[in-house]
Amino acid sequence: MAAYILRRVVSTIAVMAVVGIFIFLLLRLAPGDPATIIAGREATAEMIAGIRERLGLNEPLPVQFVHWALGILGGDFGNSIFTGRPVLQLISRRLEPTISLSILTMILSVSVGVSFGILAAWRSGGLVDRFLAAFSALGYSVPVFVIGYFLIYFFAIKMHWLPVQGYVPIDGGLGPWFVHLVLPTVALSLGYIAFIARVTRASMLEVLSEDYMRTAAAKGASSYAMLFHHALKNAGVPILTVIGISFAYLIGGVVLTETVFNIPGIGRLVVDAINNRDYPIIQSVLILTSGLYVLINLTVDLAYTLINPRIRY
Amino acid sequence: MTITRRDLIKAGVAAGTALSMPSVLRAQPSPDDARTVRMVMSDLTVFDPIRSTADITRMHGFAIYDTLFALDSKLAPQPQMVENWDVSEDRKSYTFELRDGLNYHDGSPVTAADCVASIRRWAQVDAGGKLIMARARDISKKDEKTFTIALKEPLGILVDALVEGLYLPIMRQKDADRPATEPVTSNIGSGPFIFNEALAKPGASFTYDCNEKYVPRQERPDGFAGAKVVKVDSVIWQNIADQQTALAALQAGETDFVLEPPADLYPVIESDPDLELQVLSKGGSTLYVRMNFLQPPFHNVKARQAMLHLIDQEAFLGVMHPDPRYTQTVTSIFANSPLYSNDENTEWFKKGGDPEKARQLFQEAGYAGEKIIILQPTDWAAGSNASQLLAASLRKIGVSAELAPMSWSELAARRANKGSIEDGGWNIFIADYSIANPISAAFLRANGNEAWFGWPKNDDYEALRAKWADVDTLAERQALARKMQGIWWDFVGGVFLGHAVQPTAHRKALTGLLEVPGAYGFPMWNMQKTS
Repeated sequence: MAAYILRRVVSTIAVMAVVGIFIFLLLRLAPGDPATIIAGREATAEMIAGIRERLGLNEPLPVQFVHWALGILGGDFGNSIFTGRPVLQLISRRLEPTISLSILTMILSVSVGVSFGILAAWRSGGLVDRFLAAFSALGYSVPVFVIGYFLIYFFAIKMHWLPVQGYVPIDGGLGPWFVHLVLPTVALSLGYIAFIARVTRASMLEVLSEDYMRTAAAKGASSYAMLFHHALKNAGVPILTVIGISFAYLIGGVVLTETVFNIPGIGRLVVDAINNRDYPIIQSVLILTSGLYVLINLTVDLAYTLINPRIRY
Repeated sequence: MTITRRDLIKAGVAAGTALSMPSVLRAQPSPDDARTVRMVMSDLTVFDPIRSTADITRMHGFAIYDTLFALDSKLAPQPQMVENWDVSEDRKSYTFELRDGLNYHDGSPVTAADCVASIRRWAQVDAGGKLIMARARDISKKDEKTFTIALKEPLGILVDALVEGLYLPIMRQKDADRPATEPVTSNIGSGPFIFNEALAKPGASFTYDCNEKYVPRQERPDGFAGAKVVKVDSVIWQNIADQQTALAALQAGETDFVLEPPADLYPVIESDPDLELQVLSKGGSTLYVRMNFLQPPFHNVKARQAMLHLIDQEAFLGVMHPDPRYTQTVTSIFANSPLYSNDENTEWFKKGGDPEKARQLFQEAGYAGEKIIILQPTDWAAGSNASQLLAASLRKIGVSAELAPMSWSELAARRANKGSIEDGGWNIFIADYSIANPISAAFLRANGNEAWFGWPKNDDYEALRAKWADVDTLAERQALARKMQGIWWDFVGGVFLGHAVQPTAHRKALTGLLEVPGAYGFPMWNMQKTS
């Protein structure tokens, strides 16, 4: 097990290095640079050239890469070209909103999605199953921004129950923190609930048709025991995989929700940085996100052993 | 398991409590809210006004820095930090004396040495500033409150140059001693607002607190001039990227002001009894077609004249700014400037919209079907739409126009290429400019390789432009403006697509917003929230 974890961590570093090189080249080879954006639309060529010189953008690419890579190895991710603030500080400030939104979304999605999936499988072909099919179609097909605008219109503008937008840090009070995250969490969760519920249902249906389930029923096991002690445990691996992928995807994929609800998270940070060509931010976030993605997958792989003792590494 | 009526009642009470929780938890309006103005602005990323021409950076500058002079509502420079100023009889020596009570946010006094350093830094970048430095024999402090600018030759535009063009913020000498290409690292000025560093959240919000120690002038506010009286405790700039969300926040009272609501949301704003649209920057901007004078076919004046005949401004305004209440056609190179706009030499092309004449002129220019590249800025809606319409208009008269879609950043890099199309060059791009004098407006230069992108060249025009700096009176400049425009429309330095102003949206409870004649933002002083 320890050797396996070590191998995965080493491979994570390799993945991050490849991502780093790729992103560095992609950004530098794309036309346009931050100097033109800093200078503004009416800037003269001289003004732009001066800024470019100061930013070191005239240096050869290998020199720029070495500067950057040495910095990263020394734990210095550099400063934002625009604000001049350390990139790690900017990222850390944006982590809390994104992680808060992601965790609440996963709690809601997993609890509702798995419950729906179990119910639908248990009563396959019944009302709950049909409702789940309709809900899944809705969750998959309606874009998150449409759901977001609808929730804002109804719950914030018409009912005045919840705020339209913004984020209050958790140290600003648990109530305000939670209230500002209700609408974005619901908007973001619908798709994930549909996804998790469908996978749970399919996985549970497969297990429920196994011989040992019929044996359990013949032995007089209660519905609760059959569903939660026997079926769910055996159906757990694919469900856990989906949850892991969803969580990893959430961390990097909340940008639309963050935009609609004006949450200053990582997604917004990256999009703004891309628009501004703020190279150090883009590079750092993508490298860290790729590392996080690999680590979440590793965690999921290790969690398999808890659900299914037959799995060994 | 059976469900009893009591269980249902319990569940109902629990659900009701849960549903009411958000409104209980939601922050209730506090007395402080009446003294705090929240404004949805564009994202502030560059803080040093010397480093960027972006409006948002300039507005940041208006808030925290003070200026020597300020433009009033008639675009006339009025003393702001300056108490008295004087020019010698030979017009070669200017003396400026600062008024009392000027202090930086860190408590240190504003000195003449700060002003000298600030002017020198600004002059490294601004066209008017460079002209001052070229003519200056000496710029130095006389005493703690007085400084002088001694010239080798008179410069009639000197005071105007200090207030027009790139914003000239007065900074502490230790900040202003940095080269103009290096950003200042502090946000300490002597203006009416203090930048709250502790509450700064880049990409999300910035807070400006009232500078209670600021000593305003006694005159009433007039444009950017007069008394800068801050009537609120704080102003918070919010960066809400999604305009629909920004409007919803405005409707819900979570913000008081939206800088640039999109035109398709105007009806929603106007139908809300609590909201209104208001144009604060009266100057607006003029969109124009810039042609590359160095490459065919636009190296030939006939092809440039063809563009003047081709472009129907009303059609272009229709795709750039859908609401005609905020647009107008424009034929003067000084756009809608109340000082210099005129009708010299505009009769022959009127307002364009004559494709047959344009086709004929392209033929006379020797156009032989070569590809014409139009750089299309896809991240700027007005410019992108206008580029598409221009390409379609050119194709209709047999010109092989091809769009090159790209971001503004990419466009800004490619437009610097003076080479042929085969070498990555270009023929046309669309940009905008705002009223200014021909010294500071880069678009209005025609000095060839030294000119702005497109590199127009006309020596007669340039001779008149140089005179602009020397004359002293408004009447003389207005006469020059007519002559320059006469020549401009002969060699066709650029072609206009129309003029537009951008209304802001705000809650009616937010009053006292100052309307200004320029185009580069507006001041935040004087506004307040009424109940």
